Amino acid sequence: MLLTRRRLLVDGVRITALVPGLALLGPRAGIAGERVLVVVQLTGGNDGLNTVVPFQQDAYYRLRPTLAQKRSNLHALDGDHGLHPSLRELAPLFGEGRLTVVQGVGYPHPDRSHFRSLEIWHTGDPEGIHTGMGWLGRMADQIAAAAPGAMPAVHVGDEDLPLALLGRSMSAPSLSDERSLRLSSVPGLESERLNLLGESAGAPGDLAFLRAAARNAYEVSTRMERALERERSAFYPDLGLARKLRLIAKLIAGGFDTRIFLVTLGGFDTHARQAALHAALLEELARSIGAFERDLSSCGAGERVLTLVFSEFGRRAEENASRGTDHGAAAPVLVLGGPGKGGLLGSAPDLARLSEGDVGYTTDFRALYTAIERNWMGLDPSCAIPAFEFGG
Amino acid sequence: MTDALLDPWRPRAGQWDRAAAQHLFRRAGFGARPAELELALSEGLEATLVRVFADGTPPELLASIQPLLPAGELEHLQAWWMALILEGGSPLRERMTLVWHDHFATSNDKVGDVRLMYAQNELFRVHGLGDFRTLLKAVARDPAMLRWLDGDSNRRGHANENFARETLELFTLGRGNYGERDVQEAARAFSGWGISGRTSLFLPEHHDDGEKTLLGHTGRFGCDEALDLVLEQPTCARHVARVLLEAFVMPNPEEAWVTELGDVLREADWSIERALKALLASRLFFSPASRRARIAGPVELVAVAVRTIGARVAPRRTAHWASRMGQALFRPPSVKGWDGGRAWIHAGAWIARHNALVELVSDDAMQDELARFLDSSEREDLPASALGRLLPEGAGQPFTDALERAARHANDVAEARKAVVALVLTSPEFQLF
Repeated sequence: MLLTRRRLLVDGVRITALVPGLALLGPRAGIAGERVLVVVQLTGGNDGLNTVVPFQQDAYYRLRPTLAQKRSNLHALDGDHGLHPSLRELAPLFGEGRLTVVQGVGYPHPDRSHFRSLEIWHTGDPEGIHTGMGWLGRMADQIAAAAPGAMPAVHVGDEDLPLALLGRSMSAPSLSDERSLRLSSVPGLESERLNLLGESAGAPGDLAFLRAAARNAYEVSTRMERALERERSAFYPDLGLARKLRLIAKLIAGGFDTRIFLVTLGGFDTHARQAALHAALLEELARSIGAFERDLSSCGAGERVLTLVFSEFGRRAEENASRGTDHGAAAPVLVLGGPGKGGLLGSAPDLARLSEGDVGYTTDFRALYTAIERNWMGLDPSCAIPAFEFGG
Repeated sequence: MTDALLDPWRPRAGQWDRAAAQHLFRRAGFGARPAELELALSEGLEATLVRVFADGTPPELLASIQPLLPAGELEHLQAWWMALILEGGSPLRERMTLVWHDHFATSNDKVGDVRLMYAQNELFRVHGLGDFRTLLKAVARDPAMLRWLDGDSNRRGHANENFARETLELFTLGRGNYGERDVQEAARAFSGWGISGRTSLFLPEHHDDGEKTLLGHTGRFGCDEALDLVLEQPTCARHVARVLLEAFVMPNPEEAWVTELGDVLREADWSIERALKALLASRLFFSPASRRARIAGPVELVAVAVRTIGARVAPRRTAHWASRMGQALFRPPSVKGWDGGRAWIHAGAWIARHNALVELVSDDAMQDELARFLDSSEREDLPASALGRLLPEGAGQPFTDALERAARHANDVAEARKAVVALVLTSPEFQLF
C-alpha cells in the first residue's frame, strides 16, 4: 500500500515536471465544491459517559455519585440515552437527522497514555507499524497527487501541527487566524515579485518547477484572501472553537479548495472537580458546532461537509475521589452531516460489564476512517477494516 | 581505478570566487557571514576547507541547553540547535548532525522525551564525523532509537522487527540487498536491549542468544556482531556514500560516483571526516553541475539567509520559521526522514518561505545590518550589490530589471534595500543551493 501511494506521488511530481505550466497553473481540477471533512479533536480525553448519558442504567448513578447527570436535565436521544445538558444546541441537529452519534468507539488493547492514544487515533495505527504519518496527511497526499497546486489540508489553530496531518509529501499549513497565509510584503516587493519569476519554460528543471510553484502559491494566497474577504453575517459565539470553525466556514463558503480541516479543543483531562469544567467545555463545543452548522446550511454547503468529533479516549466509568474521572477507553464519536442520517448507532456501553473499569469498544475507529476515506472523500482507505455502516 | 572526479579541485586564477566559496559554505555548513566570506576569498580554498572542518563551538553554548532540559519543552531544544547552527563555530559538524538526524530519523512525536532527543542529537554531534561503524552501533542502543523503533520491546520469543527492518532497509543496505529472513534473524540478534531511566541497558535474560543465520553467516550473534556483518556487505559503504552525495552534491548521484566514494570510505576505515575531506575538495563537488543543484531545505535556507546577510535573529524564531516551512527539528515525518527536494515545495510551504524571508529583512532591528551588507547608499547600486552578494552566479534579465524597478520606485534608500534583498531572498533562484 505504501508503495502504491509513493508511486502515485512520484507520478504526480513527474506530471508537474513535464508540464509545469499546465499542472500548476491551469484551472484547479474541480476541487472547490467537492466534499469536505472537518475533524474536531477534543484533547485530553472527553468523558463519553457524561456526554451521551445512559440514564436507564442504575450502575451509571452508582458509579458516579457526584458527577451523574439527572435524567430530567438531559436532552433525550432515545428511551435510554440523553445528551449532557450543556449540549443543548446539538439536540435539534439530532432531531433533524444531521447529528449521528456512534457509541463505543475505540480500538483493541486501549492505551491510557494521552500521547500514545492520540498517536493511535492520528495515525490510524494501533499496532504502531507505520511510524509517523497521519491519516489526514495520507489523504492530503492523495489529493495533492491528483490535483497539484491545491492546498488539500489545513490545520486551524496555534498549537504544533498535529500528527494526523503529517503526510509523506504534504505538510499542511497551520492557520492561526485569517491572516496566516496572507503574504508578507515590503514596499516594492508586491509589484515586482511576479515579474522576477520570468518564464518557467526553458529554465532548467528545478528552477522551472520552483517558478511554477511560486506562481501557484501566490495565486493560492490571493484566492484564500478573496475567499476570506467576503463578510458573512452568520452569528458565532465569542468562543475559541467557534472562531476556528468560523474561519473554516468562510473558506468553504468562499469556494476555497481545501478538503480537510483539523481543529482542536483542549482541556478535557478532567481528573478533579470535573462537573463545571466539563459542562463549560461541552457548551463551547455545542454552541460552536451549532453556529457552524447553521452557517453551512445558510450558504448551501451543509450537504458537502462532514464534521467528525473525537477524543483520544473516554474516561473511567467510576468517578475518582477528587470528583473527577481518570483515563478510560472507548467513547462516543459525533458525526455531523456526511453519510449519516442521524440517530444513535453502535452499541451502547453496558456498565454492568466493564473491562478493567472501562467501557470496552464495540466499533473500531478505523471502520469510521474507512467510511470517511473511501465513501465520503473518495480516496484509498488507510487499512483493510471494512467501512462503518451509517445505514439510512 | 580512481575516477578523476574525486581528485582535488585546483582552481585556476579567478575560479575561487564568491560563487565557489559560497557554494562550499552553503553545502558544508550553513552559509558564511560577510566577514567569513571575505576571509575565505583572501585565504583561498585550502585554508577555507580547514576552517570548514574546524570545531569551534564554545563549550558554554553547547552546555546552554542543560538548565532548559528539565522543562521538557521541545521548543527549547529546537532553539538551542538552531543557535549552534547560526552562532556555533563547527559548521560541518552541525551539518552532519542534521544529515544524521534525517538519516536515522527519529521523532519526538513518538519518543515523547526531550532529554532523549537531546542525547541522540549529541550522539550525532560527537560521532557524526567519526567512524560510521561506531556511529551505527551507538545508534542501535540509543534510548530514543530504542523507543522510536520499538527496540525496547524486542525480546526473546517476542521479536519486534521494526529496528532490524529499518536498519537494513534505510540505515545500511537498502532494499533488495537482504532477505526477509535476514530481518528476522537480525531482530533476534538485536533483542534484549531496554531503557532504564534514560539510559539503555542490555538484559541478557531478554536476549535471544541462539544460533542465527544472517547474510550468509551463522553464529550466536549479538547486536554488534550482527552490525559488523551488515557493515561488511559491499553495498553498505555504497549506501552511506549515496547519503553523503545526496546531502553534499546533488540528488540522484551517478552510480560511478557512489562506487568511488564508497571505496574511499572503506579505504578511510569508515571515517566520515576523511571521506568528506575528499568529497568537499573534489572537482565533482565544485563542478558546474553540482552548483545550485539542490532545492534548499527549510533549516538550511533560514540559516544561510540569516548568516549570509549578517543578521542576528533569535534562534527560537528561526526554528519556528523552519517548522512552518515543513521542517520541525526533532519531528521528521517518518523513519525515512524528510523527503526533501521538490517535496519541500507546495503552496503553504512556499508562502511560509516567502513570509519568513520577508520578515527577516523587514525587521527594524535589521536595517543597520542591511546597510552594512549592501555597502552602498546609492539606490542605483543596490540591485548589483544584492545580486553579487546573494546570487553571484547571476540571474536573468527580467530578474535584474525587476530589482532595478523596485529600487527606483522605493520611497527612500532604506526601503529600496529592503525591497531588493527581499526580492532576491524570496526568488526561486535563491532556493537552489
